Amino acid sequence: MHHRLTLIVLLAVFCWKAQAQKSLPQAMVLVKGGTFVPLYGGDSTAVKVQSFLLDVYPVTNQQYLDFLQKNPAWRKSAVKKIFADQNYLRGWETDLSYGPNPEKISNSPVVSVSWFAAKAYCECQGKRLATVEEWEYAAMASETKANAANDEKFYQRSIEWYSQPNPTYLPPVQQSFKNYYGLYGMIGLVWEWTQDFNSALLIGESRANASLDRQLFCGSGSSGAKDTKNYVAFMRYAFRSSLKANYTVSNLGFRCAQSLQP
Amino acid sequence: MKSLFCLSFILALALSGCKQPQPADAHASHQAMAPTATAVATNQPLSDMSLYNLSSEWQNQNGEPLTLPQLQGKVQLMAMIYTSCTYACPRIVADLRRIEESLDKYETGDVGIVLVTMDPENDTPEKLKAFAQENKLNPDRWTLLTSSEANIQELAVLLNMKYKNSGNGQIAHSNIISVLNAQGEIMHQQQGLGTDPDETVKSIEALLQAL
Repeated sequence: MHHRLTLIVLLAVFCWKAQAQKSLPQAMVLVKGGTFVPLYGGDSTAVKVQSFLLDVYPVTNQQYLDFLQKNPAWRKSAVKKIFADQNYLRGWETDLSYGPNPEKISNSPVVSVSWFAAKAYCECQGKRLATVEEWEYAAMASETKANAANDEKFYQRSIEWYSQPNPTYLPPVQQSFKNYYGLYGMIGLVWEWTQDFNSALLIGESRANASLDRQLFCGSGSSGAKDTKNYVAFMRYAFRSSLKANYTVSNLGFRCAQSLQP
Repeated sequence: MKSLFCLSFILALALSGCKQPQPADAHASHQAMAPTATAVATNQPLSDMSLYNLSSEWQNQNGEPLTLPQLQGKVQLMAMIYTSCTYACPRIVADLRRIEESLDKYETGDVGIVLVTMDPENDTPEKLKAFAQENKLNPDRWTLLTSSEANIQELAVLLNMKYKNSGNGQIAHSNIISVLNAQGEIMHQQQGLGTDPDETVKSIEALLQAL
């Protein structure tokens, strides 16, 4: 009898703990469409972004673990190198355990995931990765304004965020910067994968003022930038252009997006 | 018995996983493969770095369905184009033909050339076929492929291609010719237009000797 009681208590504690560690609901918010001038684009004109849904938070370790439980092909030991390099889920102890201090990072963004892995995760949720334009459009928002493109203070703050080194434990996603749309961590948490990360033609011959359908040579990518004030966006474009789809980076995570039903 | 086990394993995987395309595991890709002339080669499991690990479905210029593992068994030259492209694509095709000419002595069964469209919306199999005929591309050598935008992008990122569709009929893109070995691994890449094909030809010849 005594033993049975102990067992029940133990089970209850275990369940409660499991409950506490359960992932946050993957809520999304509406990002209302509009036009903006991306830092890099074919022409110097504004592009139109349709309204879309974006995850409130980047995907967390716990959420990613849930995904791995259902999708063995993406576990560390099973994944093919062409889809995720050797540092995939670096720091994870085993296929299904993300570290020695799980409670510290269960709600932190999952990092060291490849583009293929991020894409597969989103597809499993019936979602997709955001396009570069969608992501940049949503990231223009400060706490109070959808478009903080002319807010020098916001830029300055963003640069300061980027200049800080990564902490040992990435903070929980809900503790990060929340912008106008209700999106957390668009700045100041981790870099994020985008669907068409390979669309920035920074290697274009920008002096010819037409990267379209021209031989791609030469550097000087920055001279093609539209808004030199937006240095953090420049960093993001430069970072993206350095990525390959199977790369994993210790401060590169992702979140998912969804188109609105037509 | 073994195959029954295998089948139920796959079924279990399929049921527990998601419906979206997954990287083909060795069993699944073999099951799905149509018997082809390259059946011998396809019996080998794909290496980790083979592009043919992509499980996407494609159509060639004849409108026939095709999966990438069917390209196995030959050295393949792969490049991306779109048929309404006026500047770079004709030149990349010209570069490929230059390479083809210097490989004249090799059978079409040993070296193939694959052109993948970046513009699936416009480049239907019919358009690709017309493009091939216009450019007098030998159908025994050249395969032109189209698929969904998502599938094309997956292949493009593996080929290290950067491209952006500006939506006005123009696509900004890098110009890369990739040499794939018989197992579908990238062995060499030639970048830019009008590049001296010497190195590329040498890498192909080295692969052919190893065949």
